[in-house]
Formats: sequence, structure tokens, C-alpha cells
Amino acid sequence: MDDYRVLIVDDEEELVTTIAERLQIRGIQAEIATDGETALKMIEENPPQVVVLDVMMPGIGGIEILKRMKLQNLQIPVILLTGYGSTEQGMEGMREGAFDYLMKPCDLNILISKIQEAVQNL
Amino acid sequence: MREMNENEIAFIGKITAGVTHEINNALASIKEISGLMEDIISMSSGDSFPHQEKFLKALPKIREQVQRSVTLTTQLNKFSHLSDEFSAQVELNDFIEHLIFLTQRFARIKNVELQYQPADQALSFNTNPIQLQMAIYNCITYFLNHSTDGGIVSIHPNINGEQNTIHISFKGEVVDKSKLFNDSSSAEELLILQDVISSQDGSAEFDGPAQSIKLNFKTQQE
Repeated sequence: MDDYRVLIVDDEEELVTTIAERLQIRGIQAEIATDGETALKMIEENPPQVVVLDVMMPGIGGIEILKRMKLQNLQIPVILLTGYGSTEQGMEGMREGAFDYLMKPCDLNILISKIQEAVQNL
Repeated sequence: MREMNENEIAFIGKITAGVTHEINNALASIKEISGLMEDIISMSSGDSFPHQEKFLKALPKIREQVQRSVTLTTQLNKFSHLSDEFSAQVELNDFIEHLIFLTQRFARIKNVELQYQPADQALSFNTNPIQLQMAIYNCITYFLNHSTDGGIVSIHPNINGEQNTIHISFKGEVVDKSKLFNDSSSAEELLILQDVISSQDGSAEFDGPAQSIKLNFKTQQE
């Protein structure tokens, strides 16, 4: 379980820090970014095995990050986190090649099983 | 009371939608923080953590209340998006179920139960979603305001030829049965209802003895 890294990206710092800590307790290496630019830099410099992206963020949002990853041919599975009324954005993300999407707030166990599914598909 | 124009309604809708997003983010954080506390407490031994059992019992209750709040804000967010378009396709079964959720509290205060009997088929048509919600809401509140205490308001949508119908009836004791629907020139709910119905090119039928209102809307609105 600890041989892969997950990058979690959300502008809600408290939320993303806590999710990362809970994943670490369960033996999953988790890193965080709270904005799109930092996330892209982290992905380019040291690609994680899975990226969890919030769709709605100030500046570069989740869909845009996904598109840029695609342009750079970065084949990393992406799980999108969507809010109310953004199911359409989740679907858009799927068309752009996202592995899956979950509604916020999501159940941690469901997130973990999606992460594991994504890793198994690598 | 001054009527709001479309821009004002859309403004309220947009602000409400934005705030519900923020509340949802806060709830997501509370959920994860309480989950983290549970993780940490579970890892501690009973000796090193006094009242461990009590904490482990209390934390799921926080999660339950978070889930309850998420459900409420989700429905409120959905309601706020009704003002996105002034003409949109609605599916009556989902639409009424949503309204019942939103009006439960008003009914509960009067000890009235809201019962919903969905139609056997999907009933989709184009309408002004806010006005339709207002029409059904005003029928419900009319019965709530006339009930003594307790009873059941039943709502049943159906299709009848080229018309979608919504049948709203009340089973229970009313304050003065002889006055039921005879106050249409003074009862605010009925005044609003008639206003909304006429702007939607629909009609309303009132049946005092049966304590029921039937709303009719064309399936294809021009």
C-alpha cells in the first residue's frame, strides 16, 4: 500500500491537509497542493501515481489541470472532486480522460477504493 | 409587498448557490476533522486516552449531523438554481419531491404530514420553475394555514390528455369548512396562486367539500 504516492489538490487547506493525514494513517503516501499552479509544478517535477483534483478552484481549476496534463502527455490517473451542480463538470472531466469523479464531501473509504482502482489500472 | 423582478430573483439565486458551496466545503472539513479525531482515538490505548469509549460514541454523531446538513444544503443549492432559467424543462415527480423536502418544516410545525404519490410515468414539460414551485407551495400553505392541527396533505401529479395535473388535497380538520376557498379574494396564498397560474397559462380547480385543489398545465407551453 505504501509504494505509491497520491497528490491531493484543493484550495480548502484544512480539508486537503486532513484528508492527506487520514490517508497517511492508512499507509498511503499523500502530498497536497492548494492551488493549480503548485499542483502542476509538483506533477511535472515528481509525478505521483494518482492525482485527486478539486474541479472548482481559484485560478487554474481541476479540468484545466487535467487538460494541461494531457497536453504534456502525463499519463497519471486523475480522480475529480466535484461540488453541487458540477456533475456536468465531472462528466466533462471524464471526456477529458479523468479516471473517475466523486461528489464532495466524499466518503474516505470510497476515495481510497477509487485510488486503489486507479493504481491497479496503471 | 413589491414583486421582485427576474434580475432580482436571479441575483438571490446566484448568491444562495455560492454560499451553499462554501457551507459544503466547511462541512466537508468538519467531516474529515472528526474522522481524523476518530482515527487518532482508535489508535490510542484505552489507558492512555480517558473516556475513549465516549469519544468514539460521540464522533459518529458529528458525522450524522454533517450528513444531515449536507442534505439540507444540497436541496437548498438545487432550489437556488431554479432561478437560473425562467423557462426550463422540469420533471414533475422529481420537482414535487424536491418541494416536499423544502416545505417539510412548515408542515411539521402544524403536525401535518406531507404525502407524495408520484405518477407512474415521467411528466416532463417546459415551464417557469420558480412559478411552478410557488403555485404548489401556496396550495400546501393554504391547507396548513386552514388546518386546526394535524392532518395529511397529499400531492399527486398526473397526465390527463394534453394537460399535466397536480392534485393537492387535505385530509384533516379545517378551522371553518364553509370558508374553504371562499376567501379567494383575501387569502394571500390563493391570490398568489391565481396570479402564478394565469401567467403560466394554466388553471386551478377548487373543491371545498373534498378539500382539494387541482392545478392544470398544458404539457406543451407556448
